[in-house]
Amino acid sequence: MKYFYMKYVNIEFLVEELHEMDLSERERHHLATLIDLSMSNAILDEILSNLSEIDKKAFIHLLQEDPESEYLMKFLNEKVENIEEKIKKAADDLAKQMHEDIKQSRRIK
Amino acid sequence: MLFKTKKSHYEHLRKKWTDRHKSLQQTLFEKHKEVGRQVALSGLGGLLLLTTPAANLLPEVQLLTQSQIDKEKDTNAALAEKLKSTLPSEIRPLTLEEEQTISELLSAQFGFIVTSQIQGIGLNRSYGLIGGEQHLYRYPGDNLYKHADNATDWAMYGSAGIAPGLGAWGYFATSEAQLSEKDKLREQYYLAVQTFLAPGFAENVAQYRDFFKYRKMLVINSKTGQSVVAAVADAGPAEWTGKHLGGSPEVMHYLGLAQGPRKGTVLYFLIDDPNDKIPLGPVKIPERLAKI
Repeated sequence: MKYFYMKYVNIEFLVEELHEMDLSERERHHLATLIDLSMSNAILDEILSNLSEIDKKAFIHLLQEDPESEYLMKFLNEKVENIEEKIKKAADDLAKQMHEDIKQSRRIK
Repeated sequence: MLFKTKKSHYEHLRKKWTDRHKSLQQTLFEKHKEVGRQVALSGLGGLLLLTTPAANLLPEVQLLTQSQIDKEKDTNAALAEKLKSTLPSEIRPLTLEEEQTISELLSAQFGFIVTSQIQGIGLNRSYGLIGGEQHLYRYPGDNLYKHADNATDWAMYGSAGIAPGLGAWGYFATSEAQLSEKDKLREQYYLAVQTFLAPGFAENVAQYRDFFKYRKMLVINSKTGQSVVAAVADAGPAEWTGKHLGGSPEVMHYLGLAQGPRKGTVLYFLIDDPNDKIPLGPVKIPERLAKI
């Protein structure tokens, strides 16, 4: 599943923003973990929302078996039309919200 | 979190993102019922964050995820104990006999061939002081932010920065599109070693340059036994630094040397891996071999 993350999630601009903020190493790490966890959940939600109950179970089974398997994407492509675009949009939407959050936090004195 | 901060911008983000994370988790839980609960409770979402290539695992050589680091420290600690009686108290080059004894021990423990020389070529020493290096540019147009596969990766390794110059062998790939998973791993787990001090280097520059390029080495924190398989991707450090080799931010992290002065004593031996079977990354001694 790292594949999903690398291929569809663009966090470069979030990372750049965090880099410029006055944060300790632990604070930066904590915020970065929250980005990753939220992204993961958002992508999983998008995937599961497009699958039938039976296919959800099959997908979760495949994911547990081998999270790096290329078959995961093949499986999704067979079941859902334009799944790659859908995943990318879900990730982009969340990234934009988080980017807004960062901008907002910078205005706080 | 256990720590407290007075930074309002941090507090704002922390609260907002924690709430969002909880809300997303709740959505998974409620919207997808049984499967969602399974995902939420089992931490399956975390599979998206794996930073080590599980697909490259060998049966006997297990790469570790971040959460396994502490455990790895314990299992490899037995190796550090075994090395105690063999290693000198001062940081000096090992004698041929010491090198032989240690390379045999390491080969037996890890289950692959660890040696100080291959084809008669080796470094000038195999026990010394490692220092933390910066990231390297992997292709023209690369930047620090692109080195992270996810935000946690970046938070952990990004602060090391990126070296202004290229590694001794130039870019790892000609373009971003050409950058393979292998290239990425070579940069993540790279070493800078003093190739220029290797016996015979001056007389055989081209041969040695080719020999050392991406040569796999086993690096071991002599105090804790934490170990990493890394690839030689740069030459250095200079003799005057007092250090004998350098490790990428990831290498230093998995050796347990990323904090404080970012240096420490390590053993570093060549790995004889002609068929490219040993994966790069942190490495754990298989339990059945640990008993030897």
